[in-house]
Parts: sequence; C-alpha cells; structure tokens
Amino acid sequence: MGKSWLRDYVIKRLIYSIIIAWGILTITFILVRIGPSSPADKYLANIAARGADPVQATAAIEARYGLDKPIYVQYFNYMGNLFRGNWGWSFSTSMPVIELIKTHWIYSFQLILLSSLFAAILGMLIGIYSAVRQYSRMDYTFTFLSFIGISIPNFWLGIMLILFFSVNLGLFKTYYDTTLPLFSLDNLKALILPVITLGTGMLAGYVRYTRSAMLDNLKKPFVTTARSKGLPERTVIGKHVFRNALLPLVTIIMFDLGSIVFGGAYLTEIVFGIPGLGQISFNAIFANDYPVVVAVTLIGTFIVLLVNLATDISYTYLDPRIRYG
Amino acid sequence: MRKFGTFLALTLVLITLISGCAKGAIEEQGSATIKGNFIDGESGGDAETLNWILAADASSFGYAGHTVDSLATYDNQFNIQFRCLAKDIEVSPDGLVYTITIRDDLKWSDGSQVTAEDYIYTMKNLMFSDWLNYPYKSLWQEEVDGKTVFVVPQVINATTFTVTRQTVDPEFIYTIYDLTPYPKYIATQYEGNAEAFTQAPEFNNLTYTGNLGPYKFKEWIRNDRFVVERNPDYYLGKENGAPYFEQYITKLFSSSATRQAALEAGDITSTGIDPSDVNRFRSMPNVKVYTNPTRGYWLLAYNQRANGWEGLKNKTVRQALSTAISKQTISQAILLGFAEPAYSFIPATSPWYTDEGIVKYGVGPLFDKLKAAELLYQAGYGKKESDGTIKVTNKDGTQLHLVLATSTGSKVAEDTAFSVRKDLLQLGIETEIKLVPWATLIRQYMMNTVPGSKQEPTDNNGPNAVSQEPWDLMLLGFNTDLLAPSGSRVFFTTNGGLNFAGYSNPEVDGLFNRARSKEALDKTARKQIYAELSRLLSEEQPVDFLVFNRANVGFQKNVEGIEPGINMGYNYYMWYFGPAE
Repeated sequence: MGKSWLRDYVIKRLIYSIIIAWGILTITFILVRIGPSSPADKYLANIAARGADPVQATAAIEARYGLDKPIYVQYFNYMGNLFRGNWGWSFSTSMPVIELIKTHWIYSFQLILLSSLFAAILGMLIGIYSAVRQYSRMDYTFTFLSFIGISIPNFWLGIMLILFFSVNLGLFKTYYDTTLPLFSLDNLKALILPVITLGTGMLAGYVRYTRSAMLDNLKKPFVTTARSKGLPERTVIGKHVFRNALLPLVTIIMFDLGSIVFGGAYLTEIVFGIPGLGQISFNAIFANDYPVVVAVTLIGTFIVLLVNLATDISYTYLDPRIRYG
Repeated sequence: MRKFGTFLALTLVLITLISGCAKGAIEEQGSATIKGNFIDGESGGDAETLNWILAADASSFGYAGHTVDSLATYDNQFNIQFRCLAKDIEVSPDGLVYTITIRDDLKWSDGSQVTAEDYIYTMKNLMFSDWLNYPYKSLWQEEVDGKTVFVVPQVINATTFTVTRQTVDPEFIYTIYDLTPYPKYIATQYEGNAEAFTQAPEFNNLTYTGNLGPYKFKEWIRNDRFVVERNPDYYLGKENGAPYFEQYITKLFSSSATRQAALEAGDITSTGIDPSDVNRFRSMPNVKVYTNPTRGYWLLAYNQRANGWEGLKNKTVRQALSTAISKQTISQAILLGFAEPAYSFIPATSPWYTDEGIVKYGVGPLFDKLKAAELLYQAGYGKKESDGTIKVTNKDGTQLHLVLATSTGSKVAEDTAFSVRKDLLQLGIETEIKLVPWATLIRQYMMNTVPGSKQEPTDNNGPNAVSQEPWDLMLLGFNTDLLAPSGSRVFFTTNGGLNFAGYSNPEVDGLFNRARSKEALDKTARKQIYAELSRLLSEEQPVDFLVFNRANVGFQKNVEGIEPGINMGYNYYMWYFGPAE
C-alpha cells in the first residue's frame, strides 16, 4: 500500500482546489464587472482636452472592452474560452492575457524566490544563533534589529536603499533593468536591493520565530537526553532541536509565500520598476481589464492552494507520526 | 558559531564582488552625430495600445507617434511645421472645403507609396465606421439640420484629397493636422471584424510604418519600457541624417521620487522635475532644467445644480468667494512659483489670449477678504457683529458649511484644498474637504441624473440633474487646447458634455457658437470673440480659475538641440548627444 492514503488525500485536495478556484474566479469576475467605474474614466481629461464628446467616447471605449453586453453573456463567453485554453485579450495592454503572463511571471517569481530564500536561510541561521546564545550581546543586537526590520515599511526601505546605494554610492542602477539576461551576474546584482527590500521584513520575522521555536525545544527532555548521550553540540542543535523547531517555521514560511505573492511583492515591484505580475494586476484592476484580473487571481489562488497542500505534505516528512484521512 | 560569522562575511564579499563585476559597459560618447540611447523617464502610466485608432489615452498616441508622423505640428511660437504635408492645407473661401496635399516620398514598410487613398480609407472605412469603436468620432462630425453627420473625405489624386463640411468650423483644420493614416493594403484584411482588427499583429507591432516616423518599433515590455530604434529612412532625415539617437526609450516609473533619483544617478536622460526639487537639480553639474508653460490649469468648480449650496447660483456670491481665495498662495507657496494666476480658460501663452477687460479675481485689489465678506453680506449671506465685522452665514443666519471635493493622489490638489479652506474660514465659512479616488469623484460627484428618472448617468444630464453625492466646490485640473480653445465649450456651455457643475449662460453659449462660425474664419474676428469670452467668464466666475501650471523638465547636460518652450518636443528628432561633460 505504501503511502496510498497520501495519494488519495492529494487527489481529494486537488478536486477541492479546482472547486475553490472556480468560486473565487466567479466572485472576482462579478466584482470587477459590477464595479461602478468605467475604463473610460481615466481618459476623460484627455478626451475633454481634445474637445471630443465624452459620452460618445465613453461608449466607444466601453464597447471595445465588451461592456456593452450583459454581464452573464460576458461571464459565459469568458468561461467558455477559458475551458478551451483561451485566456482572452488584455484591453489595457493590447496583448493576449496568456502572453502577458508568460512575459511577466518570471520577474515576480525570481524576486519572490530569492527574497524567500534570503529571508528563510539568513533568518533561521540568525534565529538559531540567538537561541543558542540567549541574552548575549549579539542576541540583544539581533533582537533589536529584528524589531526594526519588522517595523520598516517595504516601500520606504526600497527608496532609502536606492538613494544610498544607487544615487550616492553609484553601486547599483536606480531601477531594475529588464534588458539584462536572466541567468547573469548583472541580473543577480540588479535584484540585490529588491530582494533586501522584500526580504527584510520576512527575515526579521523568521529570526524571531526561529529563536522562539528553538528556545521551546531546547528546554525539552530529549535535548538533555541527547546531550547526556555525549552527542556533539552541533548534532544536538542541528539534528534534534532544529528539526523539531522546523514544523511551525514551515507553516509560517509557506503562509508568507502566499501573502507576498498577492501583497508584499507588489510594493517592491513598484519601487524598483519591476514589471511583475503585481504591477500588471494592479494596473489591470484600475483599468477594469477583467481578463487580466481574473487570470492573475486564478493563478494566485492556485499558488496558495498548492503551497498549502505542499505544506501539509511536508508535515508528513518532518513528523512521520502525522497522517491525513 | 564562528563559522556563521565567516558565512556572513563571505555573503557581504560576494555582494560586493557582484556589484563590481557587473558594472555595465559605459556607453562610448564620441563626437559622432548618431549615437547613444535617449531614455525618457515617465510615471504617468503605460499606453493602452499601439493600434492608435482604438486609443483614448495620450500615452498610446505618444508611443505610436514616434513611428508615424501626423500631417503637421507646431513650434514653440505656434508656427506650423509640416510633417507629412507637402504644403499647408488650403481652405476654400466659404470655409467648407479643405484641400490636403501630402508628400510624395512617404512609404509603407513594403515599399509602396502612402497615398491620399490611404488617408481616405482610414477616415471613411475605419474612423467613421460603425464596426470599429473609434473614440474620437465626434471630432469629425457636425450638426446639420438637427442631425449628426460625418464630414465628407474625397480623393483628388495620389497625393491630394479633400475634406468637405456642411457647416463652418474654423478650428476644424487643427483636427486635420493631427490626422495619421493606416495602410489600406493591410487594414482591408481586417475590415468589419473589430476583434481581428484589435488584435492585428501588424498594427500592434507597428510593422507597417515604413519611413513615416523618426523611429521604428523595437520592443514594448508592458509597465516597463517602450523602445523604438532609429529609422535611417525617415523622410525628414534624408538631408541631415536625423534622427541622431540609436534608440529612444520610454522608461516607466511608479513615482516621481524613483524617476528623479534615476536622472540624478545618470541612469536616464530626461524626466519631469517636481517644483520642490527644481533648485536641487539646477545645482547639479550633470543636469539642465528647463521650465516651460503648459496648457494645464487648476480650477475650483462651483456647483450650480440643485444639490449644491444655493448661493453658488448667484454671480455675486461666486465673485465674492473668488475674491477671498488667494491665487498667489497657490502659485507661490504651493507650486513654488512654477505657476501663473489664471483668470479665464485661455492662458497668456495662447495666440488667442487678450488681457484687455479680464477681471482678475484673487490677486491684487481683487484679493480682499473684507470686500468678499461685504459682497456676501449684500447678497444676503451674512450678519454684522457688534464690532461691525461681517460673519458670513446662510440666509437664516446659521453657520455656512461647504463641501469641497477633490481626488486623492495629488499633493498639489490636497495643499490647494487646504489653502482654499483656510481662506474661506477667514470669512467664517467652514469647509469640509472630501478626498476621494478619481473614479469615485467622476461617478459619485460629477456624473448626474434627474432624480427619479431612469437616465444613464453622464456628466451633464440637463439642468435638473444632480450628482449622487452633494458637493459645493470641486478642485480639478483641466486643459485648454491653445490653438483651438473652443473645445472648452464642453465645460462651459449649457449642453456641454462635461458641464457637470450646471453652469448656464446663453451669452457664453452664443460666443462659443460664434467661435465656430463663418464669422470666425477671419482671425481678427475670432480673436475678438475669444477676448469677449475670456472677459465674460472671468467676470461671471462659473468656476474660480486658479493657476496655469509650468512644467519643469530635467535633461542630462549633453543633450543638445533642445528648444525650450510650450511645444519643446516638436523637433525632438533633431536632438543629439554632444560631447560628454
């Protein structure tokens, strides 16, 4: 049988995910379409400046966006196309939605991946150090810096980093350069400041969580047992204490991953001019470009659902006692 | 734990190494005329489409405009500069027939000649069609016997065509100057199918543009950059070798702070500078800042509809409020001197501006709070205190409370709103400021319907219509077409499509009509009409015209060929990089 219960569980969760995604897709579609604003609103000043008739121009723009059809017609057309693999045409950027996402996802992905790695690895290392050296001068220093890191707003930190490292020291370009090859040192360099900006808050959080989880486990009897068996301190900390502390940390890291996909990464993209999915979806919302809004929401929903599933599965490896029915 | 310290140190060394290794190759700045990439930093939002006939936004026209010229443009003194025109448009003596002659050396990308037929096809089969949603149709329509009809275009020969109207509009010529063609040989493939036309790769990638513009399309990364490269075949560059930049890049930023930091660091060539940063940039050795007048102005609209304060329907009350609001504070303290007080919708930079007879509320002797209070008292809105001072009130003696609405996201608008509130408070008027998103301002404050009716909300649904939310004052930024100011009739005439404030004056309506009549074919007569219109509106105060903005643009100092002025970019294809300083 092996882990057949796990396979059944994954299949069940995937079916639930599809139903949840469809529900979220429908709600998003309705919310975007019933909003009171029109895609023509933001062009009103330009229309007026050219002396054109605002009523006629608004009607033309709304017809181009397909708003002249009843909402249920738009919904069934959209869903029908989606099932045929056609994600629609983005009116606000004039390209197929699937092309738009294919062009821009990598910018968000590399930022989120590197920021998460930066925050998780460094955060856990500092957290372990702080726990092992509790109440030392370095522990107080890291604790103090962690509170600052948690408190600093992303966008402010980003602008300060640009002013100091780019404008004053000239070490980095003031914006992210999309012409750089993806797998190159130049691209890695261009991502240093955005990664620090997005990762600092998470890093500070992981330091605190790791420290706390490590301290909880350090006091447990199995640690005393391990030490009394004469195991080296590195093995006690790394293999026994940290492994037990990892379970709550994985939950937090995965949760953070879900939230930055939707929120944190956007502000960093804005500050550094990274044309990722955050910027694309934000602009699409204000442009009433529903094919893009729905598509990006759908992708985000699947990412969160899959991350949650991966988290649940990872528990079974970190703690073999865990079983799902 | 010592190893952890070593790890941190190694990480820092790695970051430093990467920073060092990856220094980009600095562009060589020799003395050749064709060199370098011009990077223009913008933060006004990306374009919607390069298929310009579908666009309503300025960015789309701006992007496409690098690759296809219109018929003509203007220099800083409003002298006409021919582009695709071979000679100026000839207007028949009765003002109804416009004869347009284009150059004979204009080519599409397949090498075929751009002909009058392409222009006519663009108008008749695309712009005027029912199947394609061209947003600016109304510019090519006229009212004849109560019906809206299109003007009539006609081919004369390969390089000549006419456009015939049934009614006279002296400013219609400016609409023609802006005309840009689509290639008939490509467009016919998509005719009648709006979806196919919208998604046509030739139009979305500007592959048809031939020698029609100084640059050719290269790349468009949405929300990031729009790149065009030098067009060596450009028809205007045959004799002088222009354009001189290898690429012209529009780089988008999300805020003025990051945009300006990029200019300061030398990462971009040019960008707009906020008033508060102008002096800092002027002191930089690598940057030159130009200050130019603009066509944009701020105004304070007075709601004269039924859900506004009833006093605002009274001209004396509007004049009194405008007398109490300081334009100097806005131009000097808020915009730091980068603005001129406004008195009507036509700025001093327009060829149609006349100063004579303009009533200048809000400055000099007409900025006087005591006088404002006295006027309001005479109109019945105030009471005299025991010390003889006047406290402005409602007619029943209760506290006067006004609502000022404006949109979020503009510091100038917010600061101006608070300045207005401070000025009015000195009269005893309490002002509640409502900062709302632009979409909310449009939908809930500007658009209106007759209560109880089933009207679709528009910006002017007649004199009895009111907005969803009540308001009294609204702070907005408007634009005036400096060559064709009659376009502003949408704001100030009784039936104007954007007359959301409900102002109505038959005399104003009549003057706007006269500006588009046979009488106005004579430029002297037209100037008289605009002078009278400016004088009347400055006296009537349908809105308080506050200030005309000036724009500051910073350039790297080695950019040469720039002629500062209101149409600074008219000759941008002739700009070049001089020796690096």
